Amino acid sequence: MKSFRRRINNVNLNRFRSLFQIGAFLILVYGGYYLGLELGRGLPIMTCLYNHHLYGSGGCFFGYFQRLLTLPWPFYLTTPWGKKNLIMFLVFLMWFLFFNKAWCGYMCPLGTIQDWISKLRQILRVRYSSYTARQHTILKTIKYFLLVCSLLAPMAIFNSFFGLPKLPIVWECPFCEICPGRKIILLFIGELSEWHINFVCTDTIVLTSLGIWFTALFLIGGFFKKRFFCLFCPMNALHHLFTRLAFLKLYKDGSKCTRCGNCYRVCDAEILEVADDVESRYIVNDRCSMCFKCVAACPEEDCLKVTFLGFPIFNSTEEGFIRRQNIMLGYPPKKRMACINKFKKKK
Amino acid sequence: MHKQVQKKEINNVESISSDRFERMQRRTLIHLAMEAKKTLDEIRNHLPAHPEAMEYFYERCKLFYDYEYGNDLWQGEKLVAYTCIHVPEELVRAAGAIPVRICSGAYSADQIGAEFLPAKSCPIMKSTAGMAFLRLFRPYGEVVMMVIPTTCDQKTKFNEIAGEFRDDLYILELPPSKESEESRVYWQRVIKRFAKDLEKKTGQRITRRRLKAAMKTQLAAQSAFREFYQIRKDPDPLIWGTDSILALNIYFLDDPENWTSAMKMLIKELLIRKEKKTFLATRRSPRILLTGTPLIFPNIKLSFLIEQLGGIIVADETCSSNRLIYDMAAFDEGFLFDMVPAIADRYLKPCTCPNFTPDTDRERKILEMIKAFSIDGVIYQFYAGCVLYEMAVRRMGIMLEERGIPMLYVETDYSPDDIGQLSTRIEAFLESIKAKKRGKRIRRLTAKSKLKNQRLTMEDYHVFCRVGHWLYRHQDLFGG
Repeated sequence: MKSFRRRINNVNLNRFRSLFQIGAFLILVYGGYYLGLELGRGLPIMTCLYNHHLYGSGGCFFGYFQRLLTLPWPFYLTTPWGKKNLIMFLVFLMWFLFFNKAWCGYMCPLGTIQDWISKLRQILRVRYSSYTARQHTILKTIKYFLLVCSLLAPMAIFNSFFGLPKLPIVWECPFCEICPGRKIILLFIGELSEWHINFVCTDTIVLTSLGIWFTALFLIGGFFKKRFFCLFCPMNALHHLFTRLAFLKLYKDGSKCTRCGNCYRVCDAEILEVADDVESRYIVNDRCSMCFKCVAACPEEDCLKVTFLGFPIFNSTEEGFIRRQNIMLGYPPKKRMACINKFKKKK
Repeated sequence: MHKQVQKKEINNVESISSDRFERMQRRTLIHLAMEAKKTLDEIRNHLPAHPEAMEYFYERCKLFYDYEYGNDLWQGEKLVAYTCIHVPEELVRAAGAIPVRICSGAYSADQIGAEFLPAKSCPIMKSTAGMAFLRLFRPYGEVVMMVIPTTCDQKTKFNEIAGEFRDDLYILELPPSKESEESRVYWQRVIKRFAKDLEKKTGQRITRRRLKAAMKTQLAAQSAFREFYQIRKDPDPLIWGTDSILALNIYFLDDPENWTSAMKMLIKELLIRKEKKTFLATRRSPRILLTGTPLIFPNIKLSFLIEQLGGIIVADETCSSNRLIYDMAAFDEGFLFDMVPAIADRYLKPCTCPNFTPDTDRERKILEMIKAFSIDGVIYQFYAGCVLYEMAVRRMGIMLEERGIPMLYVETDYSPDDIGQLSTRIEAFLESIKAKKRGKRIRRLTAKSKLKNQRLTMEDYHVFCRVGHWLYRHQDLFGG
């Protein structure tokens, strides 16, 4: 058991994660058609609903939830539709509670695509950009704004808020209209039809052209900033409401922290608290995507800990850190030659 | 021996004739060698059971005073001399130079430095100034740069004073606080500029590959050091604190690869000792944490004194030994744009130097060390003239008192005059810890025997009755 734990703590996390992400991407985007998988529409990740009809094995809960909310007030509680809403929400919560925000870091196809874009940037040797902590607090409001708006708009189709006029039916799923995932994930199955502007009415013109803008922003921003879209993702905001209930958790032991800032440096979301906060124990904040790169970059023994229902899964260790860092710095020529010779002998 | 000292370098101070300069150089070298040999002999003869692997480090101590030794090691190399622990060694190595830390512990150079600095300044600064003036550190290579970070006031002003006799000074601007994001960004820019200036001086560009290789060397040394650090946590003391301080001091001047392999040998031997259960002292001997101003060879009289009087320094929190290469840098993308800031961060953020304000990191670190090394008492030393450490004493004392850990603060300097007075104080401190430990042990034993002889008393009987009655009254709660 001890040696098994040690092996897990020594894992090359970056490689594991990128392989896991590729696997998850293939299953979520193509699994429905090729494997016959069906995971339902309660998944807490941006795996496009429009692909769910075609090749995908699961659908994005956020998109589906907007549609479910398109009901008159009395229908919410008593009728089967209301019950369905509740059940779907519980399904979402069940999925979410198991893996917490690790859904974002390991499963989300949109997140994976952003990581691939970042890899492209690394190949082209372009420097990544960063925001300050203050800018992040300002940007944070955008995702909550998007969350509230895209949940209120479908409610306003059959109901009237404060005597305001009701919205037309095209507001059924406003976020799907502007979501870059819809356009980009469907590209992976060769579907170009989403790249259009809908001229049915002014509302659709506005929404679909916003969608094109968002997609352009996604691609350009994602190129210069790591996980750019995740800063604005309303699903991320929705996750944050329930993150404390989840089973998978990331804890920090502040007394062991030297505040060296390694975790902050490798963090895609630039969360300063993980490095500087030595008081609080649960340090997942609303930008965190639980990729656990911080745990891999922490050189202090058991300072950062990933636990599942209190059972430790992945801890930061000195040995693991040195191993991973050695891999990052590249093997020395002697050792590399030894590896090559071994390989030759086998052949 | 004296011929090797470079004569072509002319001192710029007009008041001192070149003849006198040479005489001073010669005299200091002789005194330095005497001082160092005396310290080494004391350590080797008066403390028993040194590991065999320590021989390498005793040998390497010659780097500090014997200028014929290590001739082959440094000949024709470009050296970057620096003080403090804020100068990124990786960058210096990547730029094709060799970093040499020149903080000096030589009492013989102390008086010479006093010519330039006020009498009340700290002995490290005076000694370093003396060595810098006499050009006595590593004369074989060519010192292309002498980097002095603006850490404490004395180092900061030393930049101006040393301008009198050195023209290769480089001021590395260190922010006075490291809390804010601004200071981090500021320091990163300072380091970037430093890298550029280094490139100009050495004529070697810092490339991605070179920096990675330099970081790799550093990482190997760091991992060996960390292993050593973990071994010292063992409840049975395996190595003298004086020895470990000495071994880590050698890192100032040694080739890191040689140092790493020697360190690994030492670790191997200590592990064998652990298996064979050959310990230096019993578990009852007081485990001491030494903190405060750095102990630099040949001035390690305090640690020697403590261990001679029966204490064991299991850990120290000083910038000349444990803090030296403890922190490791991590980066996300292996390019210069990420690696250079990562290195900059490693030298600023986790540093527990008291020149940063607030100094809470150091307090947390010491508390953590007290827990990890099961420390019985803290000895806090500061040199006369080191205001920073002296100012931190009060807070530290209050903090440790709250947690019931005894602390002794010791004011000293490089001169051997105060040994008698120090030994009395330290002995009393160690005795009090011993008595406390004995008391604890007796209390523990009596508690154990009490548990064994425990019988049920009338009081226990009443408690049982009460619980039973409560259960009877509330049986409906349990479905009865």
